[in-house]
Amino acid sequence: MRRILAIARKEFIHIMRDKRMLGVILIMPLLQLFLYAYALSFDIKHLPTAALDLDHTEQSRQYISALQQSNYFTVNRVLNNYGQVDGIFESNQDQVVVVVGSGFGRDTTAGRAGAVQVLVDGSDANSAQLGQTYSGALSRVYGAKIAIAQYEAKGASVSNVGALTGNTRVWYNPEGKSASYFVPGLIVVLVTMVTVLQTANTLVKEKEMGTYEQLIVSPIKRIELMVGKIAPWALIGAVEILVISLIGIIIFGIPFRGSALLLAVASLLYVTCTLALGLIISARATSVEAANQLGSLVSFLPTFMLSGYIFPLSSLPWVLQFLSYLYPARYFMVVTRTVFLKGGGLSVLWPQLAALAGFAVLMTTFAAFLYRERA
Amino acid sequence: MTVVSQDTELAIDARGLSKEFRSVLAVDDISLEIPRGRVFGLIGPDGAGKSTLIRMLCTVLEPTSGDAFVFGNSVVSNPHEVKPRIGYMSQAFSLYGDLTVAENLNFFAELRGVPKSEMAARSARLLEFSGLTEFAERQAQFLSGGMKQKLALAATLISEPDLLFLDEPTTGVDPVSRREFWRIISDLHRHGITVFVATPYMDEADRCDEIAFMTQGRIILRDTPAGMRRRVPGRVIEVAVDRYREAMTLVRTLPFIRSVEVSGELLRMLIDQDACEEDCEAALRSTLEGAGFSVGNIHPAATDLEMAFATLIPAAGELLDTSDDEILAVAE
Repeated sequence: MRRILAIARKEFIHIMRDKRMLGVILIMPLLQLFLYAYALSFDIKHLPTAALDLDHTEQSRQYISALQQSNYFTVNRVLNNYGQVDGIFESNQDQVVVVVGSGFGRDTTAGRAGAVQVLVDGSDANSAQLGQTYSGALSRVYGAKIAIAQYEAKGASVSNVGALTGNTRVWYNPEGKSASYFVPGLIVVLVTMVTVLQTANTLVKEKEMGTYEQLIVSPIKRIELMVGKIAPWALIGAVEILVISLIGIIIFGIPFRGSALLLAVASLLYVTCTLALGLIISARATSVEAANQLGSLVSFLPTFMLSGYIFPLSSLPWVLQFLSYLYPARYFMVVTRTVFLKGGGLSVLWPQLAALAGFAVLMTTFAAFLYRERA
Repeated sequence: MTVVSQDTELAIDARGLSKEFRSVLAVDDISLEIPRGRVFGLIGPDGAGKSTLIRMLCTVLEPTSGDAFVFGNSVVSNPHEVKPRIGYMSQAFSLYGDLTVAENLNFFAELRGVPKSEMAARSARLLEFSGLTEFAERQAQFLSGGMKQKLALAATLISEPDLLFLDEPTTGVDPVSRREFWRIISDLHRHGITVFVATPYMDEADRCDEIAFMTQGRIILRDTPAGMRRRVPGRVIEVAVDRYREAMTLVRTLPFIRSVEVSGELLRMLIDQDACEEDCEAALRSTLEGAGFSVGNIHPAATDLEMAFATLIPAAGELLDTSDDEILAVAE
């Protein structure tokens, strides 16, 4: 125990005295957090929009002004006929055209869903998709309002109101806010990068400095050395998860609906996996440079590509989908998103937790095997 | 399986120790018995296998074959009994540069399980001992070469080992620091610590109780420094002569000169009395003066080790000059 503490304390001194390292573990994650959450935001506001009102009723005008007030759309012009739509798109004046069909006023007054058509310029695929989502959501809200007014006027209970249309609904993140989606994922990515890379470095560095021989000659057991080496990084990983979560919740206003304890347990299991991975690299790498490259290779790429962070896993080729099951980031990603956005508990997350636990055991065993005492 | 050597009066008992690196035999079947309390010097050219031998003896490297017993414990099957009793100072500076002097000492004290109650006192004593007290708060990377080596020695000594392995501890260290370093070693010796030191310096070898000459993975000669000198046939004289470098070339061609070297401003040579017809000194003087050198005093001198090895090991002089690449020994 004393030897483990001695190693851990020494590691902390290394970290505190290495300005570059401090930068990597403190500044880089925050920088990335703000970069992803702000600069690379996939949110869209003030989408240039044209409206085509074929109904010319009070209701249709209300609907168009509701679009305008939503902040998601800026209604630049009101068109008179379909013929003008092509011109709008071709000249890149507006990206969305909302067509309010004739009979909209009649239908909504009668308590039926009003027909609205949303034409989207598909050349900017991302904006197009979001434009669709927003206008869909907006139509529903608007439709619901009308319906509610209608039913209340008839004295019916509001809770009896059913969905007006068979539209898709985006749950948990109805506004499609990027931060809500990215911050839980970013936790996974940043923690992976910091823990894998630094642990991969740690023993190789000692070998290069010649201090490793001193450790071998001392009575320390390999397992004590391993634990002492990774304990500080486990702590730093935990702090990082905490800080990113708090920033996400406080500054970006993302929800936290699940159990903090569950997230803590999953984090612990996941960090154990990444630290073991780092140790495995450290055991095999011959130089700090090699450790860095190998560390980047196994931490950056898979966490970006194979965890569902950027690309939905279901859209990957089957080979990559298969590979993603072999990488613990996938499971941890599900846990963070579920805990933050859905509030799902152990009853739904147990397969992920079990997988993480399995990986943790498997990888530490392998790392321990690589560092086993020589006979 | 624990193999315990019978004779625990021996600090080191190596039996047929060999190490092979990618089919290069770095250490070739070395058997070596070193009693407790000795200062044992290992000399030999670069690439002779000195470091490899030391690293096997202090459990860093596993021998390819053979075994060694340190205080009766096998380095192969029982390294955990060996480690607490030894200290190892490797050739390269092997402390943490970003830790201060005091932090380095504390770390190794904790690592080697020095009792908490003794830590402060031992640290203070070693800092005093190595003259590093005023640098205790300095980061090790900012120490001078000599101070670094003294710190490394202090860190090795913090656990009060019974056996100390030093691998070229004063390479790259200024002469004053070297003397101080050896003063510390002598102190340790007086306290009964066994010291095993590899050194390229003959004056350091001279301070050992016993020395062994190693080349090409084998120990080919082992004796006390005095014994080594006694083995040298002939006697040594020192000659004051101007333009001594040119003179040396001429002297070398004389049949009764076994070897010659520069010592300060003098030429020191080993002469073979039997090869002179009468007075070797007179013959030497007349030859030099005949060639236009002005010759001063000629007087007898003590045999030094360098000369001893140059004579005793025909190829040693040449070997000492070549700097073959040290066999790259990768830890494990």
